[in-house]
Amino acid sequence: MNRELVEIGLRIAGLILTGLVLANFIAAKRWDYAGSLGGTKLIVRQIFHVHCAYIVAIIAALALISLGWPSLLLEGGFSKVFCAFFSLFWLSRVIVQLTYYDRELRRNDRCWDIFFLGVFLTLSFIYALATYYQ
Amino acid sequence: MKELLQIGLQIGGYSLALLCIGSFWIPKILRWKEHLNDLPPLMRELWWTYSIYIWSSHVFFSVLTLGFGDWLMSGSGSAIAMNTFMLLWWSVRLYLQFFGFDFSEITKNKFNCVGKHLLTLLFIGLVTLFGGLVCWNLGWL
Repeated sequence: MNRELVEIGLRIAGLILTGLVLANFIAAKRWDYAGSLGGTKLIVRQIFHVHCAYIVAIIAALALISLGWPSLLLEGGFSKVFCAFFSLFWLSRVIVQLTYYDRELRRNDRCWDIFFLGVFLTLSFIYALATYYQ
Repeated sequence: MKELLQIGLQIGGYSLALLCIGSFWIPKILRWKEHLNDLPPLMRELWWTYSIYIWSSHVFFSVLTLGFGDWLMSGSGSAIAMNTFMLLWWSVRLYLQFFGFDFSEITKNKFNCVGKHLLTLLFIGLVTLFGGLVCWNLGWL
């Protein structure tokens, strides 16, 4: 596999990540985050929203760099560590979904469950490839 | 200036490692278990998942700061991008410390008070460090 193909893979990952950023906003509406948090203390609501915002920021930054400057992720040295971290990051998200998230909820939305498992696995695979081929 | 930034990277890296260790007490201090009881299962799961991902990002920042200081000062495009990202990350956190979070519901005792001030100091230090690194990499220092 050559460098150009890995760069294309990273750009595809960037597109997928852009979709994930948008999906976060849709999920907030679909699962009624605001309503669910309504009865809790202000600090709990604030921490949840801050965590959501930081997660979206991580994904958006990764999307930006993967889409716009994939070559920066293939410079060797630290780039290798960076890609390895994100490969593990997305692989761990697969494990979380399979072992931690509510089974009944997943069963009720089986199509989305499988779709997002595929998305996270693909992302993990692309960043693993980028780690290996540099 | 280079030596100063290198010392800053060491202090910043160890402080981040301490923050990661100290984070294990946050759920207890803020009584998360008690507060999260009223939430639907999905929200509780999201809460813990997001918290762990944020924590793992802090671990990553700590490893990066302690182990890849030379790279962070290398002046490369990726180093500028990473330093800028961490500068934004900690600037937002510093802003939230002063103007965002409502700390009135946290038990007021000496331990929590010292912890809050130490966190504020840490965020100020990290903003200064990564701000300095961005300037260094851009050739402004």
